[in-house]
Amino acid sequence: MAAPRVIGSVSCAVVLAAALAAAGAQQPAQPSAADWQRKHALGLQHRTAWDLYLALRAAARGGRQTPPFSQLPDWTGLWMQAGGSTFVGAGPTGIMPKLTPAAAAAVKEGQTLAAQGISYDENLSDCGPPGFPRWLVIPFLREFVVRPEQTWLSSETVNNVRRIYTDGRDHLKPEDAYPLYYGDSIGFWDGQKLVVHTNSLMARSMGRGQPTQSERMETVEVWEKVDPATIVADVWLYDPAVYAEPWHLQRRYRQVPNEDKALRMNYWNCVENPNNEVFKTPDGNTQYRDFTFTPADDQRKEQGR
Amino acid sequence: MTRRAASAVFAVLALVGAASLAFAHHSGTMFDDKKEVTLEGVVKEFQYTNPHSWLLVDVTNPDGTVTTWGFEAEGPSTMMLRKVRRSDFAPGTKVRITGHPMKDGRPAAAWTKGVRLTDNTEFYPRGRGQAE
Repeated sequence: MAAPRVIGSVSCAVVLAAALAAAGAQQPAQPSAADWQRKHALGLQHRTAWDLYLALRAAARGGRQTPPFSQLPDWTGLWMQAGGSTFVGAGPTGIMPKLTPAAAAAVKEGQTLAAQGISYDENLSDCGPPGFPRWLVIPFLREFVVRPEQTWLSSETVNNVRRIYTDGRDHLKPEDAYPLYYGDSIGFWDGQKLVVHTNSLMARSMGRGQPTQSERMETVEVWEKVDPATIVADVWLYDPAVYAEPWHLQRRYRQVPNEDKALRMNYWNCVENPNNEVFKTPDGNTQYRDFTFTPADDQRKEQGR
Repeated sequence: MTRRAASAVFAVLALVGAASLAFAHHSGTMFDDKKEVTLEGVVKEFQYTNPHSWLLVDVTNPDGTVTTWGFEAEGPSTMMLRKVRRSDFAPGTKVRITGHPMKDGRPAAAWTKGVRLTDNTEFYPRGRGQAE
């Protein structure tokens, strides 16, 4: 490649790391410190996620299973997550999650590598599933399909659908359960709130620079549409391999403007466009494979690199 | 500055205090977010694909040779939210395009800004905050 001619300079301000979630939507208000503290304390009051789920179900007088369509909320439209992507950051009161030594070490290692400009996503780089609970924080479009017997929570990122069964079924018996990327989710309706318990999760990374969750991870979620353009999910995470005590976080999903209805959820396939193929370098970093538009790469390809 | 079709315009400078670009599908560490490249050329192809889109631009070098540069952005849904549609960069469109170049010297960059020279319309595939 011939060196381009430098004929001048351009001025530019500091580049800001604008979150993708800001696309087309204002940042919604975050939970108040008091509200977060109350919900965090609620998690601490229960030894397991199942205990918390049963307590919420009792408080809802058993909750509703398979309610008629007319009693279900309208969650139609396209949505994007607005908020952070970490499972180990401070809550609104400044309280940090109490991590196990292994989880803390993983976070520290991720921070060290990031400071060196080294990062590789073990799940998403080749369009592997983000899994749950990482699903809560991934970017791009989402659609929520609410039906009496089940609710589908879908995301464009690697084509996933979480099915929340609200028809009264239970989880599989422990001896029959097996690890799943998105776990097994059952729930009930408490008024306009969808309450969800998830287990049978797979041991895997919670995200770049995040700890590795174990198969003991179980969660409780409470989903509610709090205004016409905002759905809030309060989440309690229980995993003794990651958290020394239960952790609560809240994620908000903002409706995306789509006046002309041109915007749609589309399928992801990392090999659809060869220019999107990446690999992990020996030092653990991310690098593109050969580009289709560079002759130098083509030559290396012909040489059997 | 001459805006001759397919003429190469190149500028690289250090950005003090630059923050990392947000990449969702994979890490963006192959791009140098402390440098910026701006080129003029002609659109060869707009690959409007998931999980990333690529705008391929033919740039004529001072010695008369042509280099095809690839400018990477997010997939179609994010591009549409950023008001960058496939028809905005049809093959043959003259553009001035800016991005963070790859660290390994290959002719590719994380696309932050594009100007369609036929009408000077500006496009910001990663939002205005990433390019101003």
